[in-house]
Amino acid sequence: MGDKRENRVEQIVNDLLRGRRLKLRPGDAEDKEAIIMAARLSAARQGPQRMTPAFRQRLSRQLESAPREGLLTRRAALVAGLGVAAGAVGGSILGRSLQLDHAPSPASASVVRPANGRWFDVGSLDDFQPGEAKLVKAGAVGAFVVRQGDSVSAVSSMCSDLPCELWWNNQSDMLVCPCHNRTFTAGGKSNDDWRYPLPSLDVVMARVNDGRVEVLGV
Amino acid sequence: MNAPDQPSKAGAAGGEVVQLPAAPRATDIAIDELEMVYAFIYARVGNRADAEDLTQQVALKAIPRLRQGAPASAIRGYLFATARSVLGGFWSVRLGLSVSELHDDLAMVTPTGEYSEETAERAQRILAALSDNYRHVLELRFLHGYSLKEVAAEMRSTVGAVKVMQLRALRAAAKVRLDG
Repeated sequence: MGDKRENRVEQIVNDLLRGRRLKLRPGDAEDKEAIIMAARLSAARQGPQRMTPAFRQRLSRQLESAPREGLLTRRAALVAGLGVAAGAVGGSILGRSLQLDHAPSPASASVVRPANGRWFDVGSLDDFQPGEAKLVKAGAVGAFVVRQGDSVSAVSSMCSDLPCELWWNNQSDMLVCPCHNRTFTAGGKSNDDWRYPLPSLDVVMARVNDGRVEVLGV
Repeated sequence: MNAPDQPSKAGAAGGEVVQLPAAPRATDIAIDELEMVYAFIYARVGNRADAEDLTQQVALKAIPRLRQGAPASAIRGYLFATARSVLGGFWSVRLGLSVSELHDDLAMVTPTGEYSEETAERAQRILAALSDNYRHVLELRFLHGYSLKEVAAEMRSTVGAVKVMQLRALRAAAKVRLDG
């Protein structure tokens, strides 16, 4: 009896209706839709919830004592592809600071200009199809390169919102962030009509040199 | 090593110091915004303990990266983006599935305007799209808090049959796609 799905789901429903924490097992994935719906309906019964004063105070205290990140934000470091070595490399991202309140001007992209940068050969121009963004690595800098005729342009491979590497969806011709499904054009412009606008992707320097595509990295 | 012919190294060497919040103001705004995030998360996990844990994760991930002076709208947008990511991770870990496998089930559209009515209204619309029996069992169980026995008595059925119907009703409810 215990193996029957209806019994297992009832156990989860019962826990939810008693306000208990969700305790799931990998086998529950079979009924993921039903379980997620049960959680939503359970919440609906209780109406809109507010933080308890105790939790709010605890959260406030934690935030006040939380360590601040370094001079560069994590995203800045990732955009530059520098990871934990961000501070040591001293690259700069000019044209737009990485603050969140720049959202009202999403079209203004900044340019990744790594200090001590150098050009990386990332392939022959023939390897790049016009209009298709191709992911390349110029040392520590990840970029999507797009060919336009005999020239190329490139944008950072990192989402401008969350620190996640984008992927190219060749069905929709969009760059997609796997973390929250925000999309960008191949040129790096935020493509969504969401409640809050996103900055464009940072521009990575790229050029064609003797039939070879080169990207400025570090 | 080839020096890049553009930009000049002199132009790139300046660096930029991004001012991070030291004063409590951005935190204060964020705490207020976190009320909405908490309600958003609670509506998706259905219990306080998990909602508190996840809200805390959102706060600790997002707030140290907010800039002092950022407007509330930008803070809210960032907090909700982080909340979606954290919720995706929560279900992914609990169910042992990748986030991409869960994408259609999570349907995490950022709420518009005030949040208070969204959850209940959405639930009512989902229930309204179900057959009478399925709607009845879920209404009794979830909205009125009946026990299985009470539902069985109300529906003149057995506890076993109600359990099966509850599972089928939840599956059917999950398939309902609401506009907007």
